Amino acid sequence: MAETGPLRGVPSGSGGPSGPEPDALLHAVARGDERAFSALYDIVAPRVYGLIRRVLRDPAQAEEVAQEVLVEVWRTAARFDPQRGSATSWIFTIAHRRAVDRVRAEQAGADRVRRIAAASAETPFDEVVDQATAHLEQQQVRHCLKTLTDLQREAITLAYYGGHTYREVAELLGTGLPTVKTRMRDGLIRLRDCLGVSAA
Amino acid sequence: MTQVDIHALAGAYALDALDDLERVSFQRHVALCDACAQEVAELRETTARLADASWEAPPSTLKRDVMAEIGRTRQVGPAVRPARAEREGPAARNRWRRWTAGAVAAGILAIGAATATYAVQEQRVRQSEQVAAVLDDPDAVIRRVPVRGGGEMSTIVSPSKDAGIVLLSGLTNPDASHAYQLWYLEGDEKTSAGLMAAGSGGGFQFLERVGNAEAVAVTLEPAAGSEQPTTDPLAAVPVR
Repeated sequence: MAETGPLRGVPSGSGGPSGPEPDALLHAVARGDERAFSALYDIVAPRVYGLIRRVLRDPAQAEEVAQEVLVEVWRTAARFDPQRGSATSWIFTIAHRRAVDRVRAEQAGADRVRRIAAASAETPFDEVVDQATAHLEQQQVRHCLKTLTDLQREAITLAYYGGHTYREVAELLGTGLPTVKTRMRDGLIRLRDCLGVSAA
Repeated sequence: MTQVDIHALAGAYALDALDDLERVSFQRHVALCDACAQEVAELRETTARLADASWEAPPSTLKRDVMAEIGRTRQVGPAVRPARAEREGPAARNRWRRWTAGAVAAGILAIGAATATYAVQEQRVRQSEQVAAVLDDPDAVIRRVPVRGGGEMSTIVSPSKDAGIVLLSGLTNPDASHAYQLWYLEGDEKTSAGLMAAGSGGGFQFLERVGNAEAVAVTLEPAAGSEQPTTDPLAAVPVR
């Protein structure tokens, strides 16, 4: 897939490429600026859509949820609080939450963990690592995921890309709940340090 | 759940890997803990970077549809947090009032039964905005009480949204001609707050307007529901 321009949207402070920053664009969007929204769309939509599709798998559903999320960004832009994080983090948090809500609502019921286990057997957890392409950010994430222990990486990718709760992750990995909780947290801390992420 | 335990959930929280009730509990914890808020913010930034690895060109129709929709979507204003009204519950005057008071003393905090959680999630897709607003309110108050005869009744109430959620889980299944019914208690007034499915020992009710109600109680009623409760309450939970 061809990229049409530099992929912006790296959290501010991490030395991203020039151009309007998502934070500034979102601020303009909050004042009803549709052109700013269009520019923000171009920066974040591929990741919003890609993330939702990875969690939901079905492209038609992913498009529907991505549309809801992007309209939600427009609608609630004034609620974004830069004190609490970057614009991209805010947007991807909304996207991920919506995708996870959808997947959990649809898979509600006693057989959920069984179905999840079957699905994850078909698609290995590190699919995402293998699918990484030439984007700088992807390479960086891929590199940093590799610095984690297997258990940290599996716990994080099953939860984030698989949309599973930590209880389900524990079941899938045959690990105790306290261990999974701990690995998610210390894995993310290691990832944070590797990516050089800081909160706003 | 102890403070240490709940703090360990920061990673799972940042990954959206908690169930709804755990998430509400964790958000309440974070609202009172500056160090936690800082850690959560950093972990959220980190998980957001995981989206980088999911870059995929969206369908060409998406932008057209989104731009068309924002053209007809009204934006909301910045969040303004209203002051929270503190209120003392009046003394119990009759059996129902005593239930209300007993519920207040019954204490707080819940970690969800899986069935109840999925009920919330299902409902959230249908009623998503309102329910999500309650679940995402860091000031939402969670309470859980045992139900006479088995099971639990939980409430999550957002004072600023004047809305809440009631969850029943693990109650004795009534026969098909009976159902659990919820009641708002305000003074001596009892007003229906919703009827569960006939024959079901679990359920979910969104409370659109808590208003001046002091508590929500549950009784067993005929399947069609009652105007006023016809049996004694099995449990009551305060909603303010």
